[in-house]
This record gives sequence, C-alpha cells and structure tokens, in this order.
Amino acid sequence: MLRYLAKRALTYVFMIFLTTTAGYFLAVNTLQPALLEQERIPRPTPEQVVNSFRLKGLDPELSPWERYVDWLTAIVTRWDWGRSPNGAFINAEFGDRVWISTRLFLASIILTLIIGVALGVYTAARQYKFSDRAITSYSYLVHIVPAPIAYFLVQLGAININETAGERIFFVTGISTPGMEGNGWAQFVDLMAHYAVPTFAITIVGWGTYQIAQRQYLLDNVNADFVRTARAKGLTRNQAISRHALRVSFIPVAQSIAFTIPAIFAGGFFAEKIFAWHGVGSWSIDAIALQDVNAATATLAYGSVIFAIGAILADFATTLVDPRVRVQ
Amino acid sequence: MTNLNAIDPAAVAEEARIEGNDVVIAKSSIILRRFLRNKTAVAGLVIFLALTLFSFVGGFFTNWDKETIDPFNIGMPPSAEHLLGTSQAGIDLYALTVEGTRISILIGLVVGLVSVLIAAVYGCTMAYFGGKVDKVMLFILEALIMMPALLVVAVATSGGGNGLQKTLPSWLLLIIVLLVFSWMGTARLIRSLSMSLMTRDFVKAAQYMGIPPRRIVWRHLVPNIGSLLVLDITRGITGAILAEVAFSFIGIGIKVPDVSLGVLIGQATSQVSTFPWMFWVPLTVMFLLTGSLAMMNDGLRDAFDPSSSSVGSARKKKTV
Repeated sequence: MLRYLAKRALTYVFMIFLTTTAGYFLAVNTLQPALLEQERIPRPTPEQVVNSFRLKGLDPELSPWERYVDWLTAIVTRWDWGRSPNGAFINAEFGDRVWISTRLFLASIILTLIIGVALGVYTAARQYKFSDRAITSYSYLVHIVPAPIAYFLVQLGAININETAGERIFFVTGISTPGMEGNGWAQFVDLMAHYAVPTFAITIVGWGTYQIAQRQYLLDNVNADFVRTARAKGLTRNQAISRHALRVSFIPVAQSIAFTIPAIFAGGFFAEKIFAWHGVGSWSIDAIALQDVNAATATLAYGSVIFAIGAILADFATTLVDPRVRVQ
Repeated sequence: MTNLNAIDPAAVAEEARIEGNDVVIAKSSIILRRFLRNKTAVAGLVIFLALTLFSFVGGFFTNWDKETIDPFNIGMPPSAEHLLGTSQAGIDLYALTVEGTRISILIGLVVGLVSVLIAAVYGCTMAYFGGKVDKVMLFILEALIMMPALLVVAVATSGGGNGLQKTLPSWLLLIIVLLVFSWMGTARLIRSLSMSLMTRDFVKAAQYMGIPPRRIVWRHLVPNIGSLLVLDITRGITGAILAEVAFSFIGIGIKVPDVSLGVLIGQATSQVSTFPWMFWVPLTVMFLLTGSLAMMNDGLRDAFDPSSSSVGSARKKKTV
C-alpha cells in the first residue's frame, strides 16, 4: 500500500517538474516585464532597467535556457523561487498567500464533497420523486452558470440582504475587518461573517457535480447482480444498498475527486478575485498582469501540486473502499 | 497464415447490405424520431437555432453598429432609438449583444466539435494499441490535466510583447488555448470505454473474421461510444461558452475591441445597480444559449444510444 502510493507520488513529482518547466518557458518567452518599466515616470533608461533586473536575477539579456538553469539551480540548491520585478521574494509572498487560499477553500471543498455525495445517495433512493427531480434539476442548472457569475450573484444577494436589514450582516469582500479589536469572541464572529458568503457561494456551485455522479453510479448498481444476491440472502433493500451498492458506487466518485479539486482551485481564481481574498489564485492573475515570470511559474507549480495531492487522495480512497483493489 | 487475415467476401457483402439501408427503418431516421419525440430537446434546438440566426441577421434590424458612438445617449436605458439601451461608452447595446453572441457561439462550436474529435482519435488510439503507447499517451494526458488552464490562458493572452498576440485576434487565440486544454477528460472516458469494448465478444469475433481495424473501429467502436461523443459535443460547446464568459469576466481571454458575451457581462458588473440592463441583457442571452444546449443534451443522448430504452409508441403497445 505505502509502496504503491510512494510510486504514484514519484510519478507525480516527475509530472510536476515537467509542467512547471513547460510553464516557465511559456512565461519567460511571453512575459516581458521590461516593457512595463517603460511606463514609469521618469522613464528609466534601458541600461537602468537591465541593471535593476540583473540584481534581482531576472536578467532579460540572458537566453531563456540560461535563465531556466539559474532558476532551477536556485530552487534545487536553496529552495529559492526567485524574485518579482518589484523586488519581492516569491517564497515570502507565497507563504503568506497560500494560507489565505487554504483557509478559503478547505471548508468549502469538504462541505461540497459531503453535501454532494449525501444528496446523490438521497436522490438515488428517491428516484423520480419530487425531491429527486428538484435537486437534480438544480445540479444541472448549476452546470450552465459560469462560476464567477454565480459568485457575483451570491455577492449581490448578500448586499441586498445587508441593505434590507439596514446593517452589515455579511461581509462580501475581504478576509477580516481591518483594525479589528476586541476579545476572541468578537474576532470569531468577524471571521465567520467574512467566511459565510464565499464558502456558501463556492459550496452551492460545487456540489452539483458530485450529486449527479453519485446518483448515477448508485442507480447503475442498485439492480446489479451482487445486490440482488444480497437481497436473496435475506437483506432488506436498504441494507443491500448501503452495504454493497453504496461502496462500489463511490469508487468512480472518489476517482473524480482528483479531477475536481484542481477545478475548484481554478474556480478559486474567480472566487478570490470577486471576494477580494488575496490568495494564490488572485496573485497568479496579478502576477501575469505585472509580467512576473517567477510568480506565475510558482503559482502554476502550486496548481500542479494541488492536482497531484487530489490524485493521490483519490487513489487512497479507492484502495480503501474497493474490495477488488489489492496492492501490497 | 495469409489466409486467416484475408477478407471474407461474404462478410463484406453482408456489411454492405446492412449499410445500404436494407432494414425496416434506417438508423438515421430512428435517431431523428427519438430526438423529435423529446419535447424539451426540440425546444432547446429551436432556441439555439434562433439565437444563432439572431447573431447573424440581428445586425440588420438596427441602424447602429458595434463601433459607432452615440454621444447624446451615453449609458441610457432601453428606448425607442436604442432597443436595449447603450453602454457606458455610448455604443448601442443591441449591436454589441448581436456581435457578442456570434463570437460566443463561434468559440463554443469550434472548441466543442474539434476537441471531441481530438479526444476520440486520441482515446481510441490509446485503447486500440494499449501497452506502452497507452502508458506514454496517458502520461501526456495527465500532465496536461495538471496544468492550470486558466494560468496558461492568461499568460498566452496577456499583453506582452509577443508577436503571436499582435497577429492573431484575441478570440482566435482563446479558441486555440481552450482547444489545447479541453479534450483530456473526454479522451480519458473514451479510452476506458473503448478498452472495455475491445474485450467484448463481438469485437473479438470481428477481429477473428479478419475485418480490418478501421472497419472495426467504425462499425463497432464508434456506434457504441457514439452517444457519448454526441453528448460531449453539446457539453463541450457549453463548456467553451462558459469558459469564455468566465475568463473574459475577470479580464483575461477576449480583449477589447473584440466583443463577446463574457466581455459585456464583465464590463457591466461594477455598476450593476446603476446600469442594470447592461448586466442582465448579455447574461440572459448567455443563459438562453447554455440552457438550450442543456435541454438538447438529454434528447441527443437518448437518440444516439444503441441500447436506448425509449421505444416508439407503436412498439410500446405490443411489448408492454
């Protein structure tokens, strides 16, 4: 089991290396921070620009390959991901922002999964009844709304609630009230008020995929031979479903988690932009606008790592629930 | 040995006979009938076609175009002169919506169709050859899934000094990038489905009969994964339209002066309470577009499914 997971992990490390390298070359060939420097007042001479970039290890006169070798050596030897054109260190920036993203998404990813799978089971058990039709139509409806627009509509709704109530119940942007003082309880309430809207928005947009998948796979299995056999041996329908069908139907859902976690992360760009949480997602968009090669590559690498974690978790979940998977 | 692989003329004749519509009802008409029986799907098709038509001929019903600025009506609500009002720059919103709908539909159709084609070829190749070829191709596929598409889109379409962004219009660039990142999920599905089909008896029988691979793929694999392919075309179109809207919404992807529904929606969000029509008009069009595709989806799946349980009313009386 551990050996199997280690082997998978090794493959993913190699993959992350490849995607990051590809990303670096794409970024280094496309992004040109020197052009942005020209917009400064007073306009710096080209020599000044080259000099200041050289000091930050961003020498535009080196070839992409030379820059790549320097960049990779720094990471391998010192775990130094380089600097931004404005002089900031990627490692420090990243350390701050990654926690903001994690705080924003961890709760909603877990909620999305639990609610999605639970509703999938619930609707499969009540196929074609009103509750099934209502929930499943909702899940299909979510599929035709782009994530940022759904977030934006939730935000509009929260603003409306605030206006109707005449006071600020929900915070629609930001991570905490600036200059917030008071005891632990007041800070907790402040935190929750900031959490509620983004978490709600990400969760209601996300669970549809899991609901539809879980419902479909469970329905495929309800009439399978092994469930019928279990019933013939004296189990009630509900026992047969929960002991035999449920387990098997969760396997494909578990595997799809690997491919939805990066999707939620990609949705994170939108959520962070709209709710103004300055995490990795919004940083990456800003980095590209500022023609920041190192920051863009670092966020891309982070995205790949998130995917790998999701994939390994899915493998792990599969080995736990699938009686057919036997790994040493 | 050569005899074993020789093509049996009788089998070829049989195949030709089946293909030559020598059956009670032709397959295409079964598909058409099944689709037409589903009222929701037909309604979806009608709405989609109407929107496509609107995006091509809608421009003839107004005197304004997407570039002319009306200095006397800036940010005005809908009126007799400007059917849907004007934008903050004083451009007729109706003309902008027509143009935006066309670009969005174009992106959707091209990306939806071509990405399924790529996925089908890639997935079937993996399944047919298996082994080492499959392993290498799967590795490439997973590596592509790993890349956060949004970042690559942002880098590729960002306003750097690269020559590509200057020579290509932004919608074409977006189509290319979306194509690169949109086919992997379908390819994975097609691979696993065709792999299980390859082990089925009727494919094995066909192989032993000496039917050439191209024919096996066409006669046995494609019809059996056909419903999935068709489904993925409509889903791919929806996905591409949604991706375009989402990307343009936060300011990457389609760049002004090109217009799309996403650009229009994105530009309107900052003043949604003062200029609500600028937000809701393109949003409604987008919902009609993606909604009509979703309505078609299920009808198409059923119509193309060879094991569909939706039977005609004439047969229903006999069997049930």
